[in-house]
Amino acid sequence: MGMGSCVGLVALDPESNVAGIAHFMLPESLPDKPVDQPGKFVNTGMEHLISEMENLGASRDHINVAIFGGAQVLRPGRSLGAWAQIGERNVTSAKQHSERLGLTVVAEDTGGCQVRTVQFYAESGQVRIRIVGQDEKILCNLRVN
Amino acid sequence: MPQAITIEDILQRTTDLPSMPAAATAVMREAESSTSSSTSISRHLRQDQALSARVLRLANSSYYGLSRQVSEVGEAVVILGTRTVRHLCLVAASYPWLVRDLKGYELGPDQLWRHSFATAVSAGVIANHSGSADRDVCFTAGLLHNIGKVALSVWLEGKTSMLQVLAERAGMSFDEVERKALGFDHAQIGEALAEQWNLPSALVQAIRYHHEPNACPIPNSVVDVVHLGDYLATTMGYGLGADGLRYRVYDESFERLGVPPERLEQIMLEFMEIYEREEKVFEPDAVDKAA
Repeated sequence: MGMGSCVGLVALDPESNVAGIAHFMLPESLPDKPVDQPGKFVNTGMEHLISEMENLGASRDHINVAIFGGAQVLRPGRSLGAWAQIGERNVTSAKQHSERLGLTVVAEDTGGCQVRTVQFYAESGQVRIRIVGQDEKILCNLRVN
Repeated sequence: MPQAITIEDILQRTTDLPSMPAAATAVMREAESSTSSSTSISRHLRQDQALSARVLRLANSSYYGLSRQVSEVGEAVVILGTRTVRHLCLVAASYPWLVRDLKGYELGPDQLWRHSFATAVSAGVIANHSGSADRDVCFTAGLLHNIGKVALSVWLEGKTSMLQVLAERAGMSFDEVERKALGFDHAQIGEALAEQWNLPSALVQAIRYHHEPNACPIPNSVVDVVHLGDYLATTMGYGLGADGLRYRVYDESFERLGVPPERLEQIMLEFMEIYEREEKVFEPDAVDKAA
């Protein structure tokens, strides 16, 4: 998947061999809007992903995650308003909710203004990242912490 | 890179330059004529079967909210009106070159279409929030804003990585680095093409100033809507290439449109709902079946 300001997360519990992958658009659900698709927001989406993984036998104490994405546009000669810092806010939110849920963040590749694509090999645990226009690189291995 | 080429060179020497089908040009010319009628417009449109099929697909999409399906272009013109069909025609005509593979920008097949359609849909949503711009004009302008990339791509092939590095080192946006390297950017090429096709000035300006809305000499809400629509489609990652998010966003566009920037996330959610419903409107299978 190609990522702009969205934040992506891959998760693996090496003990139960349960893996997950998700891609969130916004940091928090809007207070005055009902959430029809929890996966759109980091707060509701991470909760949902981890609970699905637990239903399949994972334990959140054993879950390793990698976080990527959260790019944003350039500053036009002055600070970007908070409204334009969605990338940064998405990454902060993903880290905060990882901590709240007791997950271990093994690696991250975030920020900048590049587009990223990610491949996750659940069997080996390898996470590979490619920035459009550049060569693919190995970000981390979620089986080795 | 030496400034060896001009905008005129690009227009004259690019093989397979995006072009407007004759039927679409005829429909646009007819729509502006004082003697036009739904019959005369339909007659021109029927000359191009593929174009007619795409116009029907669009007319029947939930975007236009018709209470029943239309199966014939004449019916579409009567129900939607000449003005709307003129826009449908432009959208339908642009589809074949928006799905091209653009190696100069590292955009795979369909990627520019995906970005352009996302910009068009978000421009429509922003126009609704603003109330100061015509939604159909904004939708069409959003769809066409990057036509310059279709022409410029081949000239950037083999130089893309160098431009990426140059832009990153100098903290420049990608349109700025295009101007530094070539003397002009994809928005200026788009403007030249749009003028060649005699597009209305609101569309020409939106194509020209979509990255520099504050530089537009005449206030034009379509420019601001397309600037923000492009920002939204870009930031959400729709159809991005090597230039990625390397563009600037100007909050003056929000001010001019009277839309509070804090409403952006709500606009994004509305956008996603419409985009997910409409993105398949031109799937090749569907068009072939309709044709």
